[in-house]
Amino acid sequence: MTVRLSLNGQPREVDVPATASLLDVIRDLGLTAAKAGCRIGVCGVCSVLVDGLPVSSCLYLAHCADGADVWTAEGIAKVRPEVVDAFVRCEGMQCGICTPGQVVAAVAARAELGPAADESQLREYLIGNLCRCTGYATILQAVKAAADGH
Amino acid sequence: MATEPAFVAPTTVQEALSAMQADGALAVGGGTSVGLLLGQSLIEPDVLVWLGRIPALRKITVDRGQLNAGAAVTLRELSWHPAVRSSLPALAGAAGIVGNPRIRAVATVGGAVAHADPRQDLPPVLVALDAAIEITGPAGTRAVPAADLATGPMETVLLPGELITTVRIPVVPSLRSVYLRFTPGSTADYPTVAAAAAASRDPDGTLASVRLALAAVGPTVLAVPEAAELAGQRAPSAAAVAEIADAAARRALPAGSRLGSARYVRAMAAVWARRALTDCLSR
Repeated sequence: MTVRLSLNGQPREVDVPATASLLDVIRDLGLTAAKAGCRIGVCGVCSVLVDGLPVSSCLYLAHCADGADVWTAEGIAKVRPEVVDAFVRCEGMQCGICTPGQVVAAVAARAELGPAADESQLREYLIGNLCRCTGYATILQAVKAAADGH
Repeated sequence: MATEPAFVAPTTVQEALSAMQADGALAVGGGTSVGLLLGQSLIEPDVLVWLGRIPALRKITVDRGQLNAGAAVTLRELSWHPAVRSSLPALAGAAGIVGNPRIRAVATVGGAVAHADPRQDLPPVLVALDAAIEITGPAGTRAVPAADLATGPMETVLLPGELITTVRIPVVPSLRSVYLRFTPGSTADYPTVAAAAAASRDPDGTLASVRLALAAVGPTVLAVPEAAELAGQRAPSAAAVAEIADAAARRALPAGSRLGSARYVRAMAAVWARRALTDCLSR
């Protein structure tokens, strides 16, 4: 069965089974920012935007994305380079596994909470993006900097 | 070998109901629970019937003292909806803390109910709010009290071919509701116990109704009928509230897990039932 979607601004058409996840589709198309981590929607490394909202692509059926506008961290890095720059400047990463998901979360947090979101709101929002290296302080700084737009 | 399941995305309830008559049909709200169960090979559906394209099921309406949430309304939509936030703050609050933002953007009201996981946030609030689950099937439409929907962990009274269409919640101006959750580990984890309480008052301040429900303390959400004994009072004593909380703990059927031994969960059930009632009655 066919799924037609826009992925990082490019029209794509894939033939996948009903049970395929959006993550399967994205990975099969050669994009590797979204990763299979926990596969139960908890860790956040498979985060992508679907029609502007953050989703765990591991739990998102590919067929539900038919007609949708999907963005991964690769695409966000091109159209919103300031978000990635904020992570670099704040050193909001160590091993980097969680970073693409944190970038997606930063964009989603800005869209949902607005530029005036305070630290506790952002902490709450990032609850589903686990980092096992840094301790979150610099990630939070990066998300704040990205939300502030500087 | 099982054949590959089909995926259909109907745009009307009627089409969805037709699709649900196929053998092995499974309704999909947002797909977070279905995706989880598929990923762990715990279900083998023949047809996935996705409800996300049915406008009639994506609406929240307020009508004649009742808030109606379509089965395909997402938890994010529920948590931000102005009428839900103002009239049913416990429901908006519960919907706003399920899992994480990625789950809430996708998971639906109907899915949260149909999944019947006794550890989840929405069901106890719906029981405390005396919600009715509207179910449509080949034999017509029926309404089941939220407290009666689940029969066991991930088991419900839903018959093959039936579909949850709407969750209907009574709204009265004097209603006060709270939802408290005890998550000693990560707040994104399942709770050790969660408690929802709702109370309404007559114009003279007398309690007209008091309802209490607990999650994560047994195979289904636990309704605590003893809470109704507080009705007729104006300011129940701490002792009366503690008695109801103890009754709740006695009704609990905890299995014990990494989130607490059975004995601990039962003890916490009394504590959080008391806190939820006290908080609700002081509002």
